[in-house]
Amino acid sequence: MMLAAIKERFDYRTALIALALVTIGVISVYSATYDAKAADTFHKQLLFVFLGFITMVGVMFIPFRLLQLISYPAYFLSILMLVAVLLLGRTVSGSTSWFTIGPFRMQPSEFTKITCVLALATFLARSDVSLRRFRDLAIAGGIVLLPVALIMMQPDTGTALIYLGMFFPVLYWAGASQFTLLSIIGPIVAAVAALFGTTLFLIAVVAFGVLLYLSMEHRIAAAAMFSLTVLVGISVQFIYDGLKPYQQKRIATFLDPNTDPLGAGYNILQSKVAIGSGGVFGKGYLHGTQTQLNFIPEQWTDFIFCVPGEEFGFMGSVTVLALFIALFIRGVGLAATVKNRYAGVVAIGVTSILATHTFMNIGMSLGLLPVVGVPLPFLSYGGSALIASMAMVGLLLNLYANRKEY
Amino acid sequence: MYIIITLIFLLYLGRLYQLQLIYRDEYGKKSEENSIRTIPREPVRGTIFDRNGTLVVDNRPAFSVTIMPFEFDRKNINYLAQLLSLDPEFVSDRLKKGETYSRFAPIKIKRDIDFKTLAALEENRGRLPGVDYQVESKRFYTTNAHASHVLGYTKEISEAQIKILGEDYAPGDVVGSSGLEADYETTLRGRKGAELTVVNVRGQVIGRFEGGKSDVQAVQGDNLLLSMDFGLQAFAESLMTGRRGAVVAVDPNDGGVLALVSMPDYDLSLFSGVTTPELWRSLNEDEASPLFNRATLTRYPPGSTFKMVLAVAALESGTITPSWRVTCTGAFRYGNKVFKDLHVHGSVDLIEAIQRSCNVYFYQLMLKTGLDPWSHYGAEFGFGRLTGIDIFEENPGILPTQAYMDRRYGKSGWTRGFLPSFGIGQGDVGVTPLQMALYAAALATKGEYNEPHVVHAVVRSNPHSTDTVAPSLRMINVSDATWSAVREGMRRVVEEPGGTGGMARVKGIQSGGKTGTAQNPHGPDHAWYIGFAPFDHPKIAIAVLVENAGFGGSVAAPIAGQCIERYLYGRLIRYDGVPQPATRAAHQPPLHAGMVP
Repeated sequence: MMLAAIKERFDYRTALIALALVTIGVISVYSATYDAKAADTFHKQLLFVFLGFITMVGVMFIPFRLLQLISYPAYFLSILMLVAVLLLGRTVSGSTSWFTIGPFRMQPSEFTKITCVLALATFLARSDVSLRRFRDLAIAGGIVLLPVALIMMQPDTGTALIYLGMFFPVLYWAGASQFTLLSIIGPIVAAVAALFGTTLFLIAVVAFGVLLYLSMEHRIAAAAMFSLTVLVGISVQFIYDGLKPYQQKRIATFLDPNTDPLGAGYNILQSKVAIGSGGVFGKGYLHGTQTQLNFIPEQWTDFIFCVPGEEFGFMGSVTVLALFIALFIRGVGLAATVKNRYAGVVAIGVTSILATHTFMNIGMSLGLLPVVGVPLPFLSYGGSALIASMAMVGLLLNLYANRKEY
Repeated sequence: MYIIITLIFLLYLGRLYQLQLIYRDEYGKKSEENSIRTIPREPVRGTIFDRNGTLVVDNRPAFSVTIMPFEFDRKNINYLAQLLSLDPEFVSDRLKKGETYSRFAPIKIKRDIDFKTLAALEENRGRLPGVDYQVESKRFYTTNAHASHVLGYTKEISEAQIKILGEDYAPGDVVGSSGLEADYETTLRGRKGAELTVVNVRGQVIGRFEGGKSDVQAVQGDNLLLSMDFGLQAFAESLMTGRRGAVVAVDPNDGGVLALVSMPDYDLSLFSGVTTPELWRSLNEDEASPLFNRATLTRYPPGSTFKMVLAVAALESGTITPSWRVTCTGAFRYGNKVFKDLHVHGSVDLIEAIQRSCNVYFYQLMLKTGLDPWSHYGAEFGFGRLTGIDIFEENPGILPTQAYMDRRYGKSGWTRGFLPSFGIGQGDVGVTPLQMALYAAALATKGEYNEPHVVHAVVRSNPHSTDTVAPSLRMINVSDATWSAVREGMRRVVEEPGGTGGMARVKGIQSGGKTGTAQNPHGPDHAWYIGFAPFDHPKIAIAVLVENAGFGGSVAAPIAGQCIERYLYGRLIRYDGVPQPATRAAHQPPLHAGMVP
């Protein structure tokens, strides 16, 4: 009876998945920092885990109405912090994104992701807002683009991309038309395809044209969108051709790190070697040569996925991947379950943020995506990221508990 | 939404499958290459002993300076070069070459530094990160014999040699480059070992891989036991000091080389450390060509020492009997050519013609016998072909045959008028002192022709075993009567009054021999002597060549005689009761007055 009541209010499955991922993260950070030099990294991470759980539980118990009430203020506060960090922040590896508080450093952009989702949800939940209207679409875009612009100034491309990864699912969920979505995605896809060569660009343009035709709402708008897309693609090619060779090389290396195995491609190569050499069952905990001998720079942050990959092999890496997938499926399922539109947008937004992080990070470790420095949720070392991830799990748990509220 | 998540999941799953299951081995290998560094361990080169068990080539520790490119600061190049008295360009060149090979492998910059340099280096180690030294072994020659052309030198391997010798060699390795060191390179070298160490991303050694379990021990090279007698070798060298020429002594019973001298020679210990370009230049530019092995590479006419070939051919072909006589008037006219003799010998038979070295007799005998039998028996005695000795460089010489003459002069370009010269070992005939020693050995043993060898056995240390070189024996098919006649002539050369080789006589031991004085277009005659002793149960056969020295009987014969005496008695008994000279050069004995050939 008591247990049933708890099950009713507490999404223990999601909590267990998060717990499992955090545990794997702690184990991996320990291994990646096993040599004496980085020992305090592990101890700090343990402290972050503790703070993370407190945050998770705290967020879980915020009253649902209060959550909606503080969404805008929290958003503006976090925007202020982004401005402040640009003016006063500390620069680490070329990017000004840190506040120093006593012995710890804080990265406001990690938290702005959450407040941005909350603000976006609050706006989209208003009964007079419709994404079919251009004005509302523009406001929604503005809510996202403001922090993106500030983060790009740090500059931190990876984190900025996370916002885009969150924005599209939210738009889709909140009822933006296919045409709208295509119009936003189209030019981006065309631009990227153009960098990979003319053939790919033409394929992308044709595919985009077909999709646009199928979802057409307005003939002139569609034609304008199509022309814009083609124009963006072509101008990207022209801009690329006009760049100096070293700049072209930088872009080429970014898109395909294998072309520069000693520079940008080094991490990718070492990461692939680590994961590949793990085989089916891995080399055994603390016995991964790539990990233990520090062949992968900054492994405990962005390349943490190599640790389970190398030391626990295919079994380990698939387990980690499967846990993430389970979490995302629960997140999307939750969005479909909740009665409240605000809650739905938050669930989708939070899940999308975590998923974008995960897919970008693992895709990079596997050599499928360019090297963009984003942490792997729950696993990567880093207080701000871990606490933010736990806060997001807290949000999901909160929404589950309040899923029947209107 | 679910579809997108599932698609990405499947894509990543597929990638993991590809990386971790399909390409597992490839990436596994890469990860090992990353973290396991193989440090080669040099094997100790095999040592060399002579037939009496005397250690003649040993190893001594040598200190080599190395640079680890990864840790080395290029700003220190000048300072280091000055410390080691090297050219800074040389250092930076070496560094560049080594870096392309591996940034984490030490590069040898200078081998065999002296203790003063070592001390200076040790003092400045703090200033020179990445500079270290390795203890290696270098060759050490224990006896006062040079034997440079037999033993050969070792030197740092060249890029061209690496290409030929293959993967087992790396820059900086030492390789046998001449003589036995080259011919027995694989035997002497042993096997390189490898120490597996674990390194981190900066190439710093963190520890032994698997606690050293997988290390490969270096295997010491096998030792060589030579047939040579280094006492005799040193003695023969002392007799030849200051001359140009060669001495080859063999054991007629098995073809084992007892001594092989080529003069001028050089000091092998100059090569054991670093071979400076100056040393190379001085040896290569020396007009006396000390690097040239006169014992196996010359192609000189043998002169009268070759007369036994014709004697055997004439008797065996039934052209004459030993009693066939010729009256020597001091010259022989054939067509419009006049062939000269040194003396007027009067009427001589075969044995007397050998004893007194009558040219006229052999001019006529050659014409009577013809080219073919002579060529045939010349080949039987091993002329015109390689002997198969195990010291790498050798020249087959020239033994004229019908085919050779046709090729050399054209079918109608030569006449019988060419033949008389061949009878006395002149004209186109070209031989090496080694071939001559083996010819003497075959005469000594009545036709046992043994393939020569310097190495008697290869002694393996682990497990202990000895591989003795199997002598390769060939019988020269000649009748006893012929041997008796020819050998009697040779005995009389040494032992009887009127013989040309009396100066080769050894007190208490009967021997046989033959002198030769070979004309050559480049200067005074070459002095030859071949011989063997004791006459009935021979233990040594010898050939002596002294370039541009005049009569074989007065220059070459005494050298051969003293060598025989030294070998059979173990000392020079002619000095019994006379204080023994102490220095090497003083070994040269005075010419015995009154023994003019």
